[in-house]
Amino acid sequence: MIASRVLAAAVTGILLLAGCSDSPSPNGDEAAEPTSGGTLVVAIDSDPGTLNPAITTSGATHTASELMFNGLVSYTPGQEPQPELAESWDVEEDGALYRFHLRKGVTWHDGEPFTSGDVKFTFEELLFELHSRTKASVGAAIESITTPDEDTVEFRFREPYAPLLRQLDVTEAPILPEHVYGGVDPLENPANNEPVGTGPFKLQRYTPSAEVRLVANRDYFREGMPKLDKVVMRIIPEPANQVIALESGEVDWLFGVPGPDLERLQDSGKYDFLQTAVNPGGANCIMTVSFNLERPMFQDVRVRRALSTALDAQQFLDRVLFGQGKVATAPISSGIPVGHADNLDGMPVFDRAAAETLLDEAGWVRDGGGVRKAEGVEGVKDGTRLAFDFLHFPGFASYGQLLKAQLDAVGADVKLVPLEPPVFVETVFTSRKFDTNIISYCNGADPEIGVKRMYVSSNIGPIPFSNSSAYDNREVDRLFDEARATVDDDERMALYRTLQEQLVEDLPYFWLVETESTRVFTTKCQGFSGSGHFAETASCST
Amino acid sequence: MNREYLFRRLAQLVPTVAAILLASFFLLHLAPGDPVLALAGENGDAAYYAAMRERFGLDRPLGSQLGTYVGNVLRGDLGNSYVQGRPVADLITERLPATLLLTGSALVISSLAGVAMGIFSARRSGRWPDFTMNAAALAVYAAPVFLVGQLAILLVALRTGWFPVQGMSSADSEASGARHALDVAHHLALPALTLASQETAVVSRLTRVGVVDELDRDYVRTARAKGVGERGVLYRHALRRPLLPVVTVLGGRAGHLLSGAVLVEVVFGWPGLGRLLVTAIQTRDAPVVLGIFLLVAIMVVVANFVTDLLYSWLDPRIRYA
Repeated sequence: MIASRVLAAAVTGILLLAGCSDSPSPNGDEAAEPTSGGTLVVAIDSDPGTLNPAITTSGATHTASELMFNGLVSYTPGQEPQPELAESWDVEEDGALYRFHLRKGVTWHDGEPFTSGDVKFTFEELLFELHSRTKASVGAAIESITTPDEDTVEFRFREPYAPLLRQLDVTEAPILPEHVYGGVDPLENPANNEPVGTGPFKLQRYTPSAEVRLVANRDYFREGMPKLDKVVMRIIPEPANQVIALESGEVDWLFGVPGPDLERLQDSGKYDFLQTAVNPGGANCIMTVSFNLERPMFQDVRVRRALSTALDAQQFLDRVLFGQGKVATAPISSGIPVGHADNLDGMPVFDRAAAETLLDEAGWVRDGGGVRKAEGVEGVKDGTRLAFDFLHFPGFASYGQLLKAQLDAVGADVKLVPLEPPVFVETVFTSRKFDTNIISYCNGADPEIGVKRMYVSSNIGPIPFSNSSAYDNREVDRLFDEARATVDDDERMALYRTLQEQLVEDLPYFWLVETESTRVFTTKCQGFSGSGHFAETASCST
Repeated sequence: MNREYLFRRLAQLVPTVAAILLASFFLLHLAPGDPVLALAGENGDAAYYAAMRERFGLDRPLGSQLGTYVGNVLRGDLGNSYVQGRPVADLITERLPATLLLTGSALVISSLAGVAMGIFSARRSGRWPDFTMNAAALAVYAAPVFLVGQLAILLVALRTGWFPVQGMSSADSEASGARHALDVAHHLALPALTLASQETAVVSRLTRVGVVDELDRDYVRTARAKGVGERGVLYRHALRRPLLPVVTVLGGRAGHLLSGAVLVEVVFGWPGLGRLLVTAIQTRDAPVVLGIFLLVAIMVVVANFVTDLLYSWLDPRIRYA
């Protein structure tokens, strides 16, 4: 009896505890008119660890910290640079010299004034040392950064450098105060977890593994912004649990939602949606199939073209992405106006019969209805089956399954090999033990950031997410170099079109689908944007 | 128990922990993957990788890295996280209280509930409540803890709205003191019950079998014949011996609960060591992984040691030589 009582007491005690505190109220019953103020609760999928966006490109850190910082510029929805910490700029010497006139009267969260010295310090001591993207691009091309006065900063390049204005937002180049971050090892600075920026929100408290709480910066340089009083970022690792937290009213905003849940949330009428090409891993990402060109099987472009033509990208969009994205129509993402080329001749389009014919022509013939075998293929022993492996992250398993089914229909035997990201990277880029793979290559805001690395011959080697196919075409290398030094947008676009025509002819990769993320938020909150400062203009009714 | 035995057991703890640490070090460093990847993202170049490897000492031979690491650990320095740049000791101490709260609660719940359910079953041995209890215990024991957690969220938290589904406190709460404690207890209930579920099943089965055996013995019959009430028979006589194996498995259960906590913390967004460990393994953040392994190894080894001591204290017939 006593034992029964103990059990009853334990359960009752827990239930009492449950009853004592306020349970979260379900939301979305009525869509109140958003007003200024309020608290936005956001779900993020991993612990940022550090809140210094200048020393890492980690998506977790950037998501959690960008609201506290600014770049020299930000971007319009059309990807055009607009003033942020820089009020205006001059481009001189054909693009070898950029002079930025900084916004006056801006203060850091601790009240100190923002100056050109902070910009020079951030680039030289932080970004060029530790921000892998900016170090590899701007850092490799820069000659000097000078500060003629407190409100002016000049970037001088060794030769004309066109992409700079697309690499200066809060994601690529957040600006940090020298008086807080200077003179200390940047990786071990305590300020990394107590950040001081100029952004619309200030840190209230960071509880590792649990949450990041931000409060409005009432001295923000943009009049009337931010509207929200607080932003609370809750760390919820599992996407399914993020959806549950949204539905139970514990969070207001999700950065993404699994495809199968999307339709249900859309049908419920309780949420609003924002489609954006900015994914957690980067912007303008294309799911790309790599052919390992070091393998004899893939050295004939007809085989690569046949396999690409056998893939029905629309099915991938519908069945894997649940419509969150678009079919890729060129090697460079449609989200990059200065790089994307429309209507390229020779871009593979799904046609199973044409794929079969091409494989026949290339010497891979069907023996009955089964897997094709080699007959007179150069470098391949006669009778070799058209069988190859396909490496993918475990999270991309559904791409693998659909690809296997579609290629099976044209007589190719695909072996799916799911590998955790660190193992995938080592297998593909270091040991190069693979035939084909799929990678989400994020193109970024400019081809110089995330496109060039996939193609230039100097980038074949052990560096992660570099030239996975081992594509080597010196004409393509030259075109990338020329485009980088061409400041005029029209001339630059013409170069990228020529380049993409060559890529489509050579098909070292197949560009399957451009992925987009769907931001989901409760109807009581409005005014969001897709960029790093997604909540700068938002408000929530209470 | 003599003093020599005590010292001998204590001395065994050191090589055990050292062996665990060594094995972990080699497994971690020989596994494919590069911690710089987590820092570089998609766009690092060769110069960046070389600079970071040099910074972390990853360009040195493995033996030399091990020497440095062991030297630092002996001085009490667990090193800095590659990814977060902060001392591993800080990262662990920030999250340890949450994990101890979760596993401690689960240990208490499973011990109390398991014994209670075992007695309940034993007293109805061979009848339908006993069969139901047995079947339920077996089902819970067979179910992976992450499945129990997901079911708890879907069937209990979402359906009833009584429990929050994520985290350790409410996002909109700035409460402190008693209100904060209640808020944490509210968030703790479901993860702790989930983590306790399997252990409760084990304890209830052990208790039930022991009590049923005991109730059949002569001394119990004698006690009953002497007019001792059923409650007295059970709690004063029959329960003592069945509790021994329950205590014995305590040490093992502590380790089991810690490993279960990793999954429960991920499912419920509980900000403890388990989630830190999962992230550190994914990013190959060796100092963090090794730091947690070291701590868990020490905790489990010490828990087993304490269990041994407790066992001989509970049953004076047991003597260690």
